[in-house]
Amino acid sequence: MTSGREERAMEVTAGGPPPGGPRPPHGPRSPHTTHLEDQMLRAYAYGELLPPRLAHADAHVADCPHCRSRLGDLGDRARTDTGWARLRAVMDVPQPGPVERALLRCGVPDHTARLIAATPALRRSWLIGATVTLLLTVAVARWGRADAAPLPFFVLAPALPVIGVAASFGPRSDPMYEMTLVAPVHGLRLLLVRTVAVVGTTAALVGAAAVAMPGPALRALGWLLPSLALTLITLALSARLDPAVAAGVTGGGWTLALVLTFGDGDSPLLSGTGQCAAAGAALAAGAVIALTRSSFDRGLPHA
Amino acid sequence: MNRAAVSARELTVSYRNFRALNGISFVLEPGVTGLLGPNGAGKTTLLRALATAALPDSGALSVLGMDPCTPEGRLGIRRRLGYLPQDPGFHPHFTAFEFVDYVAILKEMKDRAARHREVLRVLDAVGLPDRRRKKIKQLSGGMRQRVALAAALVGDPELLILDEPTVGLDPEQRLRFRELIADLGDGRTVLLSTHQTEDVAALCRRVIVLDGGTIKFDGEPPALAAVADGRVWSSEQRDPRALAGWRTGVGTVRNIGSPPPGVPLLEPTLEDGYLLLLDATTARENVA
Repeated sequence: MTSGREERAMEVTAGGPPPGGPRPPHGPRSPHTTHLEDQMLRAYAYGELLPPRLAHADAHVADCPHCRSRLGDLGDRARTDTGWARLRAVMDVPQPGPVERALLRCGVPDHTARLIAATPALRRSWLIGATVTLLLTVAVARWGRADAAPLPFFVLAPALPVIGVAASFGPRSDPMYEMTLVAPVHGLRLLLVRTVAVVGTTAALVGAAAVAMPGPALRALGWLLPSLALTLITLALSARLDPAVAAGVTGGGWTLALVLTFGDGDSPLLSGTGQCAAAGAALAAGAVIALTRSSFDRGLPHA
Repeated sequence: MNRAAVSARELTVSYRNFRALNGISFVLEPGVTGLLGPNGAGKTTLLRALATAALPDSGALSVLGMDPCTPEGRLGIRRRLGYLPQDPGFHPHFTAFEFVDYVAILKEMKDRAARHREVLRVLDAVGLPDRRRKKIKQLSGGMRQRVALAAALVGDPELLILDEPTVGLDPEQRLRFRELIADLGDGRTVLLSTHQTEDVAALCRRVIVLDGGTIKFDGEPPALAAVADGRVWSSEQRDPRALAGWRTGVGTVRNIGSPPPGVPLLEPTLEDGYLLLLDATTARENVA
């Protein structure tokens, strides 16, 4: 450890810059009354300082325009610029927001975390709205008529991730759609990153709501495979349709099919056969997405 | 050596069954080129086609030596392109830094330290080093435009496409933007779409005028002004024979059209040439 006395010994008192010495061209006056010694500054410029002196010099140079200016004159300019840019890239970077911090703690790479943080359906307003709606459907299921009460939950549970995915990309919901479209990152990759984030989040919410549903626990999980199938069908349709329209088609189709087949608190769509059909539909939709992946970097027709 | 960054031949692009560009041909070389035209002329469609956001129906288009109609060509162009759309769109909860960092990630910059250095560099370049921690929603319109321009500059692109970047800026902000764009045009190709003839006069070494999906003029700004040589005159009252006329700050009326004999002729401006080139009365509505 460097003691405070040692640190002070590395600095020289300055009643201003040395005679003939450089002043910062336009910067504010230094808030420091002491500055780094020439020898130390030179060692710093050439990357020869070791911790803990390096940390002290870093902190001082970051905060002292006068020493930064001297640094430029003492060391090799290019080397100094590179070093200073590296230092700025560490010190000047704002802290990420709470969503990104949580993702980083889970081991998500920082570039992926930022892509996810820009997902509209992960905003607080969306999550609160989804939670409240789910709670209402659970309340209806617990206290409504036994034969029809679970219907709102089974309509909403698979559709919620679909709505979230549709709200996460496309010209209507992504304010940066145009800039994203002309970026080299592949459209399908961005779409899948956001889909996984949205489906993961909404599935956690729906899963928590399913626990509170009356009846056998296994039946309450009947929404899972239909949800996956509807989400993948929506993505497959999004290569050609606006995602909001695609979500309307799949969500509307699911609602209609469920309402028409629902009776005595259950539906064939939630049975074993229905689950198998949902799994088959999910696989087929996944294959279509893989085959049409190049469509996702062309943008929507007429968007 | 071919210096053309963009080369279009008989380019046709449709939008919602409407032919927005109708067989246009041109080349773009390094420097700032202005793109003028009334609303609906096809300017934004042209910029979107060059930026790979809209695909041509027919004709040949080469951008930075690549074909935007192929997946490989699109990817190659996107890696070397800077694009500022008319409405950039922001995630309002992002800070200026996060927004530009997000665009850098979209531009495939995965190394965190190198990416952050680049973000700081472009924010410095547009004069926003001290605004990086501000939320986008807290920034003024001019600041937001500069943030969007910073995003377009990430990766030091060879081709810069700017769609009406000075809209909504006050005169001082426009002046700063002009300085920036003038610097950017040094050594790279910049295509600047605008309604402001003053911007073109101040910045561009070349101007293209689009109208109805076709090119009406392609040349140097003085040549566009020269279209109005001998066709601008002043009078005390608006001359009924003029195609357009408006009272100026000094109290006289500036008329353009075919002047009657003996009237005092005025030096034409780029705006006069532009108005005469298009239908004067309709074009007047589109000039600020």
